[in-house]
Amino acid sequence: MSVVAAEETTKVNYLTALRNVLHEEMERFPDMVCIGEDIGILGGAFGVTEGMRDKFGPDRVLDTPISESAIVGMAIGLAMTGRIVMAEMQFIDFISCGFDQIVNNAATMCYRTNGEVPLPIVIRGPSGGYGGGGPYHSQQNEAWFAHSPGLKVVIPSTPSDAAGLLRASLRDPNPVIFYEVKELYRKREIEEPIPPGEWIVPLGKAAIRREGTDLTLISYGNPLYLCLQAAELLQEREGINAEVIDLRTLVPLDKETILNSVKKTNRVVVVNEAPKTCGFAAEVVAIINEHVFEYLDAPVLRVTRADTPVPWVQPLELAVLPSVDKIYDTCIKVAKF
Amino acid sequence: MNQKSTVIPSEEEVKTEEDKERKAKPILPRNSLTREDHLEILRQIYLARYFDVRLIKEKRRGRLRGTLYSSQNQEAILVGTLYGLRSDDWISPVHRDMPAFFLKDMRSGWDNPERKGMSIAQVCAQVWGKATAPGRAKDNWSHIGSVPLGIIPSTSMLASTIPVACGVAYDFKLRNHDGVVLTYNGEGSTARGDFHEGLNLAAIHDLAVIVVVENNQWAYGTPVELECPTEDVADRARGYNIPGLVADGQDVLDVYDKTMWCVERARKGLGPSIIECKTYRAFGHGDHDDQRADRYRSKEEIERGRRRDPIAVYKTYLVENGILSEEEAKRYSPEGKHAIQVTDEDFPPEVVEAVRKGVEFAIASPLPEPEEAFKHVFVEE
Repeated sequence: MSVVAAEETTKVNYLTALRNVLHEEMERFPDMVCIGEDIGILGGAFGVTEGMRDKFGPDRVLDTPISESAIVGMAIGLAMTGRIVMAEMQFIDFISCGFDQIVNNAATMCYRTNGEVPLPIVIRGPSGGYGGGGPYHSQQNEAWFAHSPGLKVVIPSTPSDAAGLLRASLRDPNPVIFYEVKELYRKREIEEPIPPGEWIVPLGKAAIRREGTDLTLISYGNPLYLCLQAAELLQEREGINAEVIDLRTLVPLDKETILNSVKKTNRVVVVNEAPKTCGFAAEVVAIINEHVFEYLDAPVLRVTRADTPVPWVQPLELAVLPSVDKIYDTCIKVAKF
Repeated sequence: MNQKSTVIPSEEEVKTEEDKERKAKPILPRNSLTREDHLEILRQIYLARYFDVRLIKEKRRGRLRGTLYSSQNQEAILVGTLYGLRSDDWISPVHRDMPAFFLKDMRSGWDNPERKGMSIAQVCAQVWGKATAPGRAKDNWSHIGSVPLGIIPSTSMLASTIPVACGVAYDFKLRNHDGVVLTYNGEGSTARGDFHEGLNLAAIHDLAVIVVVENNQWAYGTPVELECPTEDVADRARGYNIPGLVADGQDVLDVYDKTMWCVERARKGLGPSIIECKTYRAFGHGDHDDQRADRYRSKEEIERGRRRDPIAVYKTYLVENGILSEEEAKRYSPEGKHAIQVTDEDFPPEVVEAVRKGVEFAIASPLPEPEEAFKHVFVEE
């Protein structure tokens, strides 16, 4: 597998964008180490780390045993000694096995050492449903970590964001939980060129993916594309001009972009594929209520996964996850309130 | 205390050719200790005991917040494991090891500002919850750490420092540095997944991680036989193909010998080991539990467990080997006495003075300002 340096004119997919940044950062920072299950010899279950072991050696691209807690704990120890650490979770669902080390150890380290021990760790892994992964290969569990002060939470939805946000995360002195949307890894339709040089997308800046005036759709990850499709239908069928915001990072959250859009459109639907109860969409609704309630012309509604595990077989999976139809219908409700 | 306890590891604890050589060596680590070393080791044991006694008294006077996890009867483990370490080695003490924070690198001079250990004053400031504590006392008593000093901050989830120690030791390996990371754990924490995951990882990569298990027989209110199915906790080492040594936790020199054996091995790149130090928890899990602890453990058991005070055990050795006269050995005798019975007269004046200065520093220090609570959730740039 050859790693092509991203040129402005070369379109790359989401996965290649990630892989290139890992290669580039490993080259730039000789102290950086990558650890995880099957990331070396195999090159990663999805191939994100392909070619890295050959290039940087088995010491810096370490195949670990199936021990998520030890992976995260080891990342903490390595970061303490001044290294940048990329720790891969083979599926983001498996992060629960390393949960204690993340929320009780990594997340609190800076706080309880009064800022003396920064931990430049990126814990990244494939996430999300729509692919028939079943309960343990389809989760979006970002709310667990957004709910644990001390962690940054990032979910890119385009190749250039994947590259720019990953580089920003690797250079951030805080632990970052980095959600890769596995259904986007090789999606042809979203391939795009990556800006040249050390391309960075700063954490905490949302992107407006579609400008609109009548209603705001707020999303991230895979459902962002469902929102964009719904927005087109709303325009075609009802003449409703929807704005679509991609949050990109949940912590830190770009409240400004959210609130400015609400002030402009006065109607909001929040969409994510995590379960409804205590999901991040609920947080966005609460922030809107706290800051711009007087601008609202309708209640803020959510389209989320149902409060169920993610079922395996397709009709069941699609039944519980957000869809274009569900988003469209909810937007109509809000628009016609 | 335990039949398996010997000065050097038994045959089954010896795994490699190098181990065999090391075992066959006629000179034991303790034989390289000078008279001055022995007197310093004794002073450090007194210091650990006095620190604990002083805190018990302060707590009874109502001057301290939080729970006191007494390290009494376990001082030989702390001093025995720490005395032979180098300044650049790392440690990760847990809640019952408070003296370890200042005993680390104590050999470089108690008041030496370059010392790679915390000052007694810093540790006292942490106990008193003052703004001068290493982490502004945002975390409780026992959770402090410092990267420049080589002390991994722990959490309340015991054994979780073992995987972190693996990270530090892996950095050593990548840099060809022969430092070691010594982690402290209770026998109860060996039941946790992190204990297994960490040791498994350390053994696969021959990481210089030394896992000290202070087997004081009780994990809060649960006896060791309900935490560990093997005869000795050290037997867990078999699953990782690493040495599992059993030391007499009341005998500072047995602990020292076995630690140095494991340290030398780790420095050569031969990997991790477990040292189980058999001891007995003298009081309750924490001071809140002192009264209840007498109900779940029989009086006879507690008496038996406290019978071999590490200070007395060491003094016997020092007298038998002509390092102290009987007269000198009797001069300071806190051993076997309950915390509230001992007085400053039972300890060498330099020990009392060192702790007094630390306590005074802590008392004189201000409490953190409430604004501190909102700082450093993230690195502030």
